Amino acid sequence: MTVLKTSMRNFVAHKGRMALSAVAVLLSVAFVCGTLVFTDTMNTTFDKLFAATSADVTVTPKSAEGDDQGPRTGRPEALPASAVQQVTKADGVKSAEGAVVSLSVTVVNSDNKNMGSDNGAPTIAGNWTHNDLKSMDITSGHAPRGPTDVMVDADTADKHGLKLGDELRTIAVTGDITARISGIASFKMTNPGATVVYFDTATAQRRLLGKPDTFTHIAVTAERGVSDTRLKQEVAGVLDAAAGGPYKLQTAKEAADSGREELGSFLDVMKYAMLGFAGIAFLVGIFLIVNTFSMLVTQRTREIGLMRAIGSSRKQVNRGVLVEALLLGVAGSVLGVGAGVGLAVGLMKIMGSMGMELSTKDLTVAWTTPVVGLALGIIVTVVAAYVPARRAGKVSPMAALRDAGTPADGRAGWIRAGIGLVLTGAGGALLYVTTQAEKASEGSLFLGGGVVLTLIGFIVIGPLLAGVVVRAISAVVLRMFGPVGRMAERNALRNPRRTGATGAALMIGLALVACLSVVGSSMVASATEELDKSVGADFIIQSGPSGPIVPEAEKALRAAPDIEHVTSYKMIKAELTSPDGKRETEELAAADPTYAQDLRRETVAGELSAAYGKNAMSVGSDYAERHGIEVGDTMTVAFNGGETAKLKIAAITSDESNVDKGAMYTNVTTAAQYLPADRVPPNLIMFAKAVDGKEDAAYAGLKKALAEYPQFTVQDQTDFKQDLKDEVGQLLNIVYGLLALAIIVAVLGVVNTLALSVVERTREIGLMRAIGLSRRQLRRMIRLESVVIALFGALLGLGLGMGWGTAAQKLLALEGLGVLEIPWSTILTVFVGSAFVGLFAALVPAFRAGRMNVLNAIATE
Amino acid sequence: MTTAMTIPRHGGTGGRTAVAASARQVVKAYGSGETRVVALDHVDVDINRGQFTAIMGPSGSGKSTLMHCLAGLDTVTSGEIHLDETEITKLKDKKLTRLRRDRIGFIFQAFNLLPTLNALENITLPMDIAGRKPDAPWLNRVVETVGLADRLRHRPTELSGGQQQRVAVARALAARPEIIFGDEPTGNLDSRAGAEVLTFLRKSVDELGQTIVMVTHDPVAASYADRVLYLADGRIVDEMFSPTADQVLDRMKDFDARGRTS
Repeated sequence: MTVLKTSMRNFVAHKGRMALSAVAVLLSVAFVCGTLVFTDTMNTTFDKLFAATSADVTVTPKSAEGDDQGPRTGRPEALPASAVQQVTKADGVKSAEGAVVSLSVTVVNSDNKNMGSDNGAPTIAGNWTHNDLKSMDITSGHAPRGPTDVMVDADTADKHGLKLGDELRTIAVTGDITARISGIASFKMTNPGATVVYFDTATAQRRLLGKPDTFTHIAVTAERGVSDTRLKQEVAGVLDAAAGGPYKLQTAKEAADSGREELGSFLDVMKYAMLGFAGIAFLVGIFLIVNTFSMLVTQRTREIGLMRAIGSSRKQVNRGVLVEALLLGVAGSVLGVGAGVGLAVGLMKIMGSMGMELSTKDLTVAWTTPVVGLALGIIVTVVAAYVPARRAGKVSPMAALRDAGTPADGRAGWIRAGIGLVLTGAGGALLYVTTQAEKASEGSLFLGGGVVLTLIGFIVIGPLLAGVVVRAISAVVLRMFGPVGRMAERNALRNPRRTGATGAALMIGLALVACLSVVGSSMVASATEELDKSVGADFIIQSGPSGPIVPEAEKALRAAPDIEHVTSYKMIKAELTSPDGKRETEELAAADPTYAQDLRRETVAGELSAAYGKNAMSVGSDYAERHGIEVGDTMTVAFNGGETAKLKIAAITSDESNVDKGAMYTNVTTAAQYLPADRVPPNLIMFAKAVDGKEDAAYAGLKKALAEYPQFTVQDQTDFKQDLKDEVGQLLNIVYGLLALAIIVAVLGVVNTLALSVVERTREIGLMRAIGLSRRQLRRMIRLESVVIALFGALLGLGLGMGWGTAAQKLLALEGLGVLEIPWSTILTVFVGSAFVGLFAALVPAFRAGRMNVLNAIATE
Repeated sequence: MTTAMTIPRHGGTGGRTAVAASARQVVKAYGSGETRVVALDHVDVDINRGQFTAIMGPSGSGKSTLMHCLAGLDTVTSGEIHLDETEITKLKDKKLTRLRRDRIGFIFQAFNLLPTLNALENITLPMDIAGRKPDAPWLNRVVETVGLADRLRHRPTELSGGQQQRVAVARALAARPEIIFGDEPTGNLDSRAGAEVLTFLRKSVDELGQTIVMVTHDPVAASYADRVLYLADGRIVDEMFSPTADQVLDRMKDFDARGRTS
């Protein structure tokens, strides 16, 4: 009881000193809870959406799944309208409605601006059915009635300022549908961002599927009292007998579940990535907590000695400190859980501004969220305080009698240094082994081990490194500040363990930044080199997220002026039987013969151009080796949805390549011979070469050709490389943003160390002020100490991170990341930035030190 | 009351007058109204140049407050304090800090030295802060005088209490301040170490012509002074010249007795 009371009093008395530790716990817990709440809310939103949009039973053609030819052709799999009649006959069916839905569309307004979302949410076109009324209300105008009517969802209409009567063009593989907006429909629940357009059934069938009297699925509604499961059985019974099968049937629940499963894997990746970053923040927070409790225990040595002298047991003292940690953990975590919910709402707002609508009405806080948050926060805090608590327990009663003065300077223990050196050495050796690895799989194991060992090693030898590195930094940076700089250096050195821990906290975040920046820029450099080496085409035309390059767009591109050639490139699925009798399902790259110029490939046998000859093809060297294929052999190629062909192997390409590795080439015309016209997929990507000297005009011409198709992009090599660089940069920025949390916690750690040091050195500061140190000099001294600690952390982190990054690049060289590029400007920016972070961290502690009353400072016991 | 002695000036600015520091009608009060406590009650005092002055008095008499005010560490409620010709009661923190740095030396009871600096660095600290080079012959002489030549590279933790105080004395002397203030400089030392330190202070007055003001409650320490001022209830109630320890003790007993009977 008294232990608790003393701990409570201590906690309250020192709440200022605990504040930053509490903030660290708060931030980490908030990030965990925020992630959980946010992903749960997204799940809720999609669950509601799926629940509302799914019919009691949905019938789809079976081949729609497991065969991605659908998206490749841009034509959804269809079932005959007669199936709808069949379903209606089943027992328990109240109504069955044929529906058309296509995701391979792009909707543009009259200015050719894409109405779709730019964050990956789909654009959906379909027919307006009764089932849609479950999830939507027509809020203005009317449902589409004829081929020139289109209805659009209200969110899209709002976002792009669309009104009734505006013209929308819907681009599908089968052609454009130009129609005027006849109505606007609002979702009854949150639509996270999809753009939805509706046509009348006949238009949808003809223009989206290309065939009248077909549907993509049947929405079946049960009669009252008939369960979805029974309905499914009844419908299955009827359809088994019917032609046009096989079909896939899903109850509303199954449909929602499969929808969630697809989305869930994406959400899970996001969730675990964010939780990973929260974990890093927790790790960094541990340093802060350890430092805080170490300092509190040191400052309270006399007090603890007194407690021991008057009869407290070691256990009681130990427990007393742990109870304080518990209180800190509870306070930080409770606030953190609250802040987490706020963070989730903030994230939703940010997503909203990026076009991903989430409603706070759907805010989902599962009971596990606060439990996980509290448990994590409390356990981490108490575990972190354990070592300082043990040290408190070891304080001798004699300490009460000694003159405390300033606490004895901690020294880096040799045993600790030894362990750290061994760990670092082992980690370094593993990293070296990584660079020599011949298989990526085993190398990654070494890399992981090396990263973890060097990180732990650096943390353990942190105090030793602090001595060396701080001296080195001081020699360069602080010399110019004279005696103030020297005192700052001495202060940073006086407790290497503390400086080491504070710097190590910063090191972790910056090491990851450095590592990722090395990998990122190596990625760009490698890709650029590869492009320079192998790509002969001047222009690259890429398809959009909504599907392949539609024939009209291709036609426009081919008609562009100043072009020497335009190359088609399609992926076609087929089952291949090798001469050794083994069968494998592969995707053939069906291209125009000019592709051999657009992308230079080495061959190990035969001429690549011969692969584009009549009934010829090429395979990659790995495949050829596996199946013992040689030039002149004949492959049996069964095209999915087409005929079976005998193709002669005319070339074997080398797999020592990163672009198109293992691709099997054949001529587009060869493939087309064996496929019905509507099964020949449109181009996935296209290439073009300008007439010599007319590059600029050709580029402009191609851009103009695609003006009506904003979903496709044409880029010359320069823009393509820049785009690649931007994309990698964007990805890195997101990761840096998430790492910012860990870095913020580390900066709080620097503030914390300085603030507590200032308190600890009150008398010293008083003395220095008395003998003539000006406020400005005092503040500068503290700022310099802070800068040195920050630079120490930065130097360690950047060094470590560059080591990791280099090892990772050497490993990834096996996967095509052949060029090591260290982004010195980023590294230097981070290093200089850390100095400013140090200055910033010292703002408050320096201000408070400057304000200290000299007399009080001298009088302090 | 003012017994002038002609001595050569050293360090700082000014120093032409016989009075190194003076207080005129100095009042220092804490709080206001009911809770108002007067620590210094219209004190007038002159500190003579080249003399060793001790300030004595019972706890709460205001002796430390007087020293803090004279040294520019504390502000006064009213009245004037001059250091040589500078009125320090008018100065703002910046100038006051510079004045302490350049013209005043300090020796505190404990915690005089920065643990991160060695003895020599501690001694030259005020000059380092000011960005001045120490005067080498003078520094050597001071170090000789306090007998620390072989301990200069030691950190404070490696020195005994007496040695630490001697370093503090050396620091106070090294910058050649106009005046040195000691706040119970021997309070934490045993009698032998205390005697050592006091001997050095005495020597620095006799041989180096230093002006020293020391607050103490130890009659033995006070007996090293040229002059003893007695404070009671914030007023100077008596003074004594060239005292012996016994005389000081007797006088203290007198005050105690008077204090009890009144």
